[in-house]
Amino acid sequence: MADAGLGSRSNPLAASVYLRRNLSKTAPLMGVIILAVMLIAGIVSLINSIPLSIKVIYAYSKQYVAVTPRGNPFLTPLFMKVVEDESPVELERVMVIRGSGVEVKSIVGNWPFVVLGLERSDMDYYLARMSSEVVEGRLPEAGKPEAVISETMSRNLGLGIGGILQKPDEAESFSPMPVKVVGIADGANWFAFTSIEYQRENHFPNIDAFMAFAKSPADQLKLDNWTEEQLAGQNAQVFTYRQLEKQADTMFTILYQILNVVIGTLVVVITLMMGMLINIFLSQRVQEFGLLQALGYTKRGLLRRVLVETTIFVVGGWFLGLAVAFGLLNLVKVVLMDPRAFALDTTDWSAYSYSLPVPVAIFVVSLVTVWVKFKKFDPVGIVERRLV
Amino acid sequence: MISLDQISLVYEDHGREVHACREVSLEVKPGEFLGILGPSGSGKSSLLYLMSGLKVPTSGSVRWRGDDLAGMGDEVRAEIRLKEFGFVFQYPYLIGYLTALENVLVALPSEDRVAEAERLLVSLGLADHMRRYPHQLSGGQKQRVCVARALLGSPAAVFADEPTAALDHTSGRGVMGLLNEHRGAGALVVVTHDPVMLEGADRVIEMEDGAIVS
Repeated sequence: MADAGLGSRSNPLAASVYLRRNLSKTAPLMGVIILAVMLIAGIVSLINSIPLSIKVIYAYSKQYVAVTPRGNPFLTPLFMKVVEDESPVELERVMVIRGSGVEVKSIVGNWPFVVLGLERSDMDYYLARMSSEVVEGRLPEAGKPEAVISETMSRNLGLGIGGILQKPDEAESFSPMPVKVVGIADGANWFAFTSIEYQRENHFPNIDAFMAFAKSPADQLKLDNWTEEQLAGQNAQVFTYRQLEKQADTMFTILYQILNVVIGTLVVVITLMMGMLINIFLSQRVQEFGLLQALGYTKRGLLRRVLVETTIFVVGGWFLGLAVAFGLLNLVKVVLMDPRAFALDTTDWSAYSYSLPVPVAIFVVSLVTVWVKFKKFDPVGIVERRLV
Repeated sequence: MISLDQISLVYEDHGREVHACREVSLEVKPGEFLGILGPSGSGKSSLLYLMSGLKVPTSGSVRWRGDDLAGMGDEVRAEIRLKEFGFVFQYPYLIGYLTALENVLVALPSEDRVAEAERLLVSLGLADHMRRYPHQLSGGQKQRVCVARALLGSPAAVFADEPTAALDHTSGRGVMGLLNEHRGAGALVVVTHDPVMLEGADRVIEMEDGAIVS
């Protein structure tokens, strides 16, 4: 049968010939797809960056389970003993800590962050567990209002050596004395710590907490789960990364449901618009299809040809849209996000996959439109009666 | 080569039965130039579309080299139209985004046919117009491109439905002369209401009210 689809340079009915020579029609269609894909992938990537930021900022908690007794300082050693004696995995270290608060910036406002108070003897171990070391400045001295912060926090808060991390006049980043940054540590993890002596003297409640470190990530997960179960219902607050992840996922469930509705609506609107445009462009080609069918091209061959053309511009538009979205997101990352240490994954496939319904829906609408048109097609009516 | 046996074509138009062809029997021989003459509405175009497989008769049979066209199925009939027949329609239908040469190649797209298509256009006086698009051609030039398209591949039969209707008399005669001159060994079936256009025809039949009257 005559194949009106793809062909060589001597085949004037090759899909590429139509697409190239009718750019005034195909370029706007492709442009709409590119913009839609870019818009959807961009919006979803930026929204995904919020839970991603939570996971990145608080990723330090993957390294340990933290336990804070509620109201009673005498409970700390008791809980520590339970963990040390009964842990299902071998513990690498258990350290007594204190904690105070500071705020870090995110694209959706400020988030609370803990400033740990550590024994001098625990600081090096803690840094090692964070895969980090102090690259600028020094460690805080015992009892002094001094802190080490990670390089990510330094960028986020715009604080260098000598900058003030906590102040007496800031409710959310409070400390009775201005706490000066004396050291900056490298690496991807976010953290901040002072000496435990400074926090014991200046921060309330006057209760020590503790952190337990397992030897491997798998053991840490077991320890986290076990501690949560073991201390459930007791006067203790247990902090694990798993909890944080769960909370973040729950928090964004509704947001993602809304996002799905918005994107679904957007896809429907774009598809309807594209369907109408495709219908108009196909109507303008009725004479061409009538002529070709009269000459001996089959409906199936013509349908295949239109589908090849549609596939090229739909798939091409989608890939170009993805490329443009990728480029723009990288620009946003470099210009806006990285300088503030905001998280944005420009290779987040889930964000790009949200745009997949656009080409699929447009392709299906095109297929139906062409099929309906060809079904009631009478080539003789066109060549004989000049219906067009 | 093509034989029509008692064919009729009846269709409904706004609830009224129209007999476009009434029990027509006819034979087109290889290489024959057959003219079909008749006034508007006499059924001559319907007869042309029936014998070329573009329409299927309500009754009777159309045989192409002995095989019943109606019994072949759409795809086989389409293949015969593409490979064995050439068509020139009343209006010079060309594809707007293709050049004159490409419009000719549409009939049989193949690398092997490019030289032949060029040769045809040259012999039809369009040597300087091959790379032009339809909107850059006059009506007569467009119809000559259509003639070249119909002749590509030396088809066994060329069917022309009022090929001169959209042209002035001189251009019309020129197109008819070219068709007859370049058809080679192929049969030529021309439908027209103008007897002057059938000069050189081997045989002319006249139709009236769907039937052959002479």
